Amino acid sequence: MRKDKRIPRSLIFEDHFKLSKDDLHKILSFSLSKGGDFSEIFLEYKNYNLIHMEEDIIKETAESISLGLGIRVLSGEKTGYGYTNDLSFDKIKKAALSAASITISPSQKSVCSLTSSRIKPDFYPLLSPPHNEILEKKISLVKRTYSAAQNSGAKIKKVKVSLQDQIQYLTVVNSEGLMISDVRPMIRLSCVAIAEEKDKREFGFFGGGGRVGMEYFTEELKPEEIGSKAAEEALNLLEAVEAPAGEVPVILAPGHSGVLIHEAVGHLLEADFNRKKTSIFWDKMGKRVGNPQVNIYDDPTIPHFRGSYNIDDEGTVPQKTPLIEKGVVKGLLQDRLSARLMNRPLTGHGRRQDYAHFPLPRMSNTYIDQGEYNPEEIIRSVERGFYAQKYQGGQVEDSGKFTFSVSSGYLVEEGKLTAPVKQATLIGSNIDILEKIEMVGSDLKFGLQTGTCGKEGQEAPVTDGCPTIKITKMTVGGLK
Amino acid sequence: MKEKRPQLADLAEELIVLGKKEGADEMEVSIIDGYEFNADIRFGEIENLLEAGSRYLSIRVIKDQKTAYATSSDLSKETLEHLLRKSIQRVVLANPDEYAGLPSLSPRKIDLQSLKLHDPEILKLPSEKKIALAKETEKIALRDKRITNSHGASFETNEIKFILVNSKGFQDEYEQTICSLSLGLQAGETDNRVEDYWFSSKRHFHELDSAEEVALQAIERTVRQLNPRKIKTQKVPVVFEPLMTSWLLGFLFSCVSGISIYQKTSFLVDRLEKRIGNENITVFDDGLLPGRLGSKPFDSEGVPCQKTPVVERGILKNYLCNTYAARKLRLKSTGNAAGSSVSPHNFYLQPGNHTPEEIISSVDKGLMLIRTLGHGLNPVTGDMSRGAFGLWIEKGEIAYPVSEITISGNLGNILNKVEMVGNDLNFYTPLAGPTIKIQELTVAGQ
Repeated sequence: MRKDKRIPRSLIFEDHFKLSKDDLHKILSFSLSKGGDFSEIFLEYKNYNLIHMEEDIIKETAESISLGLGIRVLSGEKTGYGYTNDLSFDKIKKAALSAASITISPSQKSVCSLTSSRIKPDFYPLLSPPHNEILEKKISLVKRTYSAAQNSGAKIKKVKVSLQDQIQYLTVVNSEGLMISDVRPMIRLSCVAIAEEKDKREFGFFGGGGRVGMEYFTEELKPEEIGSKAAEEALNLLEAVEAPAGEVPVILAPGHSGVLIHEAVGHLLEADFNRKKTSIFWDKMGKRVGNPQVNIYDDPTIPHFRGSYNIDDEGTVPQKTPLIEKGVVKGLLQDRLSARLMNRPLTGHGRRQDYAHFPLPRMSNTYIDQGEYNPEEIIRSVERGFYAQKYQGGQVEDSGKFTFSVSSGYLVEEGKLTAPVKQATLIGSNIDILEKIEMVGSDLKFGLQTGTCGKEGQEAPVTDGCPTIKITKMTVGGLK
Repeated sequence: MKEKRPQLADLAEELIVLGKKEGADEMEVSIIDGYEFNADIRFGEIENLLEAGSRYLSIRVIKDQKTAYATSSDLSKETLEHLLRKSIQRVVLANPDEYAGLPSLSPRKIDLQSLKLHDPEILKLPSEKKIALAKETEKIALRDKRITNSHGASFETNEIKFILVNSKGFQDEYEQTICSLSLGLQAGETDNRVEDYWFSSKRHFHELDSAEEVALQAIERTVRQLNPRKIKTQKVPVVFEPLMTSWLLGFLFSCVSGISIYQKTSFLVDRLEKRIGNENITVFDDGLLPGRLGSKPFDSEGVPCQKTPVVERGILKNYLCNTYAARKLRLKSTGNAAGSSVSPHNFYLQPGNHTPEEIISSVDKGLMLIRTLGHGLNPVTGDMSRGAFGLWIEKGEIAYPVSEITISGNLGNILNKVEMVGNDLNFYTPLAGPTIKIQELTVAGQ
């Protein structure tokens, strides 16, 4: 059964939801029946596939179907939300009334007539969409990745490979008359390799994908590279020494270190935390908070990236949004609720995990832009320090305090990278670090297309980027 | 009111009959039917109000020792039958695995009533009362002048019905409820803010801590961090508060999970019946404690839950397994299956004799660990390194808060260095432990 590359959105929509424009208008009216300034329906159909290989066999495959709708009512600062995956009209009406119960107001807004909008650019045109690909071809990608890792040396004792792909159809309809749809593909091929030597056991990770077609794995990143890079990291860590402990100069490697920008800066420039004044940045708009070399952007429009989208989950066309320019706080990531309450324009950063969750201001592809310095010059400038290369993750709280878990890095001695280092933690507070960014390299790279960000229990795919950066001093927590 | 849906178990039965007819050797169908309510209050006003019901169905198909899984939130017959047929076509492409398969039917049956998982009172609570409780909690905290901002208070209830049917003749279901009250606060001025939260989470509404108890804890936990100092890097005794012990137990769980063991992603591979900690370490996983958050009658494969000794006086006694991991390791399932993975029930460290005060007063110079941030846990090696917040202890007394520190160590090492175990075991979460004192850890600061 062959399908067109661009599946007509309306067809899918009517197939699964069996709701006419009139029905949707009626549901929006129910949701505003008790007052409320704004209401919205988010309709979603998702199909997800997984192939998992370990112990030399394709151990399991899985398919998942998710179908449902969520209804949101806004009234001032309040949000009412109801959702259902039982699509009978009664259940939908019940969800609408649950959401409506957020307010009791005599004044009632009426619902504008619904006009379908089309989205112009497509940030994820694909040659061969993963969800239409036959399973045998996907299994072959998995096996090639697996073999490459396994054949990287006798010390590789264990390999796990997963291929996940997903197609998400979504439609947003709201009381202002908006009716807009998107179809978002996603694929992720990842490998974990474990190396052993005597009593030591270490693991390595590598992967790739994004909103790309199968062609990505022949043109951009071959499965063999994913497998061998994962193995290489594990083997490298067998030789690693323990991290230094204390305050030392830290160099952030290009690419993966973007997670640090994401955590330390990006989250605190999400509009909700600033509207509520819980973020340390709330009173710093237009003020200098870092070195003038620092320029930070969030851009949901980078073609094929994991964090990209044609419309956000509130139907807004997204924009590349400056967060910090020349060290000065320039902007916030907005969703409808915060933008309305703060009287700011929308930036297209309202994202949600699925129909069972209401949108929040979220990052997409966040990066610190490149600067002037040659990366080698940056490394040469450090007498004794730490080079942070790959991360397990990070966490920040609104007060600006953050930590990062570095899974691999290097010692810097006399201007050179020397011994590989494992398992260290970087800790600091964000304004302090922004001020201590001393050199920004000319080599912007993006990290792996495998990242997921969590906020208030909701997950969203993201990408982070960063050039080589020198931080004058940072607390490194290691064993020595 | 929620409707009764007796037809859900029938739906599962029908899929099993169809699956067998289409060529499956074994079939398992489970259904989750849930209802949730959540109210978030901030500065006295409702910020978010959520109310919803939802259902999910999961299928496992086994044919020629090959496995395929499928899940759907669309419970229409047409979708489910299509999904099942596709799974049976797909299963052929996997490789045979001699360990795959459903557990055999157990004669043991847990008395559901004795577990006290369900509180009908929670369902009868009017929305106004739930909202008022969250409002009251935040209001108490905002009266305190030291509190400068609020993340808000929330009241949440969940009712979940779990139905499981398989082709070996298992058919059972249970209902459970959970209600939670929580509050997050900030103290201090913009550039020197500190924050924390507190919560109470129970299966029965009458067991829930009062608004006042939750608020006072949240205030105390927040303001005690005000005006932190930095400290020099050093090795000192570290006292873990109960929630920090829980966090450590979470790491231990991931290292004794049968899946990590057969996958060799744990430093505790091949250590059964060997010493992994000192005499102070006794850990159980108990799925049968009445009314506790981690209790249930049977796991996701229908294996009855049990009380499993994990560590006894420092000796590793059991890995926690689902049927698959158990077969791989030539062990028995401990009833810890959760989908194709393994999860703890009530996983706790046996309390000791010391009061938390005695433990603190035994420290001449050291750290009381109160919060950690970040990831930094490596089950393959047992290494851990986390950002941390703490209270500095001097001459047996809390002296001042410290921030921008990291603690690092190795779980294998830490389990051998637990000097004192407190008597304050509370099951705040399914992973639970009392206050403990570690002889020495690296605390990195300036």
